[in-house]
Amino acid sequence: MEAVVEQPTTHDAPVHLEGLGKEYGHFTALKALDLTVAQGTSLGFLGPNGAGKSTTIKIMTNLIRPSRGRASLFGIDVRREPTRALARIGAVIETPEFYGYLSPLETLAYAGRLRGMSSKDLHSRSEAVLKEVKLTDWADHRIQEFSKGMKQRLAIAQSLLNEPDLLILDEPTSGLDPRGMAEVRDVIKSLKDQGRTIFMSSHLLGEVQEVCDDVALLNHGELLIRGSVRELSRGADTSIIQATFLHPATQGDLEALAALPGVGEVKASGDSTVDLRISGGEEGQARVLEAMIGRGLKVITYRPLGSSLEQLYLDRIQESDRL
Amino acid sequence: MTPSPFAQIVTVASYEIRKYIRGRRLLGMLILLGLIVGLFVGLPPALGIKYASTPDAFVSTFATFSGLLVVLGGVLFAADSLVSEHEKRTGYFLFPNPVRREVLVLGKIAASLLVCTAVLSLYYGAAAIAALVITGSLTWDVGLSYVYTLGYMTAVVGVAYLLSALLKGTVAATVLTFFLFTLIFAIVGGILPRANVEPWFIPTSASGIIANALGGAAVRPGPGGGDVGFVPDPATSLLVFAGYAIAGGILAILLYRRRELAS
Repeated sequence: MEAVVEQPTTHDAPVHLEGLGKEYGHFTALKALDLTVAQGTSLGFLGPNGAGKSTTIKIMTNLIRPSRGRASLFGIDVRREPTRALARIGAVIETPEFYGYLSPLETLAYAGRLRGMSSKDLHSRSEAVLKEVKLTDWADHRIQEFSKGMKQRLAIAQSLLNEPDLLILDEPTSGLDPRGMAEVRDVIKSLKDQGRTIFMSSHLLGEVQEVCDDVALLNHGELLIRGSVRELSRGADTSIIQATFLHPATQGDLEALAALPGVGEVKASGDSTVDLRISGGEEGQARVLEAMIGRGLKVITYRPLGSSLEQLYLDRIQESDRL
Repeated sequence: MTPSPFAQIVTVASYEIRKYIRGRRLLGMLILLGLIVGLFVGLPPALGIKYASTPDAFVSTFATFSGLLVVLGGVLFAADSLVSEHEKRTGYFLFPNPVRREVLVLGKIAASLLVCTAVLSLYYGAAAIAALVITGSLTWDVGLSYVYTLGYMTAVVGVAYLLSALLKGTVAATVLTFFLFTLIFAIVGGILPRANVEPWFIPTSASGIIANALGGAAVRPGPGGGDVGFVPDPATSLLVFAGYAIAGGILAILLYRRRELAS
């Protein structure tokens, strides 16, 4: 396991997972996960399907019991004291269903009353969160008429109702159209700017890069990487770079590029476009660019295909799958 | 600040009652109830048959159907209450709130008991008014039969909640609740006396006191045809109802506390 950034060790942290494991019969969904998220951090919880992300989130929100280990929120054990542990959080888990016979306002009132919110707070906060997720016009309609995307917006709204100190989001943009996704990301970013702690699982690396400070990568129930997005992106060793030349590169040019130190693969992806797999981080990329110019190739564009974090993600998942 | 468990129970119960009202189950039950009352009151004169002359005899015709209404109440207002949170995935909204599972179960049970009590009260109220108008008098036995019906209802609701906490699907929970009280318990209660075992612990046998309170013998079908069933004394029957209600409720809470929302 590569730990780029040391994890905070305080047990009063918004999220503190200690040796967390979960088995479903003979299937191990989660193996001894240790993870701490400090106050004010936004953590992207990454991993392919079946990696253990949802299992972790369900344990954190008391939907399932861990087979071993402990999950604490703000220093309170979720299993032992669920009421206290969940009091300061807002959560969206998968795409929840709501009671079709209620309206969004009534749904928020239900959640708010269970949380002990006053009628005045409930009224003002309900209006605010429905406005934030653009459901104001639907506030009094029965949810049974709602689309999946609208339910997802309502899920985001109810998670924000009590102005939580910790927001736990499981694929929060799932089911939304591109505009809805961008709006939800904006909401999350504004919450982050307010200093709230965010724990967000996602398949979308771009989304995580845009919203989160830190990432934790999980596969087969194991933590593979934990670190800051910036450090991991910078530290990613291998990138796919796409170069476009003014004139098509010759076979000799391609062979010369392939022979450069750090260049793993060279593939022509068009008349004047070449994809190169380059290791050695940003230094390696700069060396290859210099070599291209040195050979007289007129480089028009030179850009990474996908993010370096994405490459790191794919590399680590592949590596983990091979083991 | 998180409210007290009692305040949370009241909140859960109020939203459950709203579900029954808006989901039209209550309306369906009230229509059925109106139909039964209408037939009992309207059919005899239409067929030229005289009404019973005493209030107890008049209400006993209503009492023969109160057991079925109790079971229908359990099916419509209790059997799917817990399991539906899992099957319909509404638990993903409800469970991450700072509320204990036992509070959720108690709130839902309270709603079921209140709605069932309201329905049965209307039924007995209509029967009592009809008896008063037609026979010109009313006895305390009618009230006693009503109380026994409520006792039986608590037992049915308790068992319905146990099945709801135990089973994975709403259909299985509702169907099993219905057949348990209309068929399985009745069969067991009919067979046991043939093996010289008094079925005092079978709730459907104990429910015989509902009609017995009004002077009518509890007649229930046995495996070989109609048979006069065994009915325990009222005190034993009430204890049996309480036993099923409490055991069902406690087991439902224990099972639901451990139940995971995994899929």
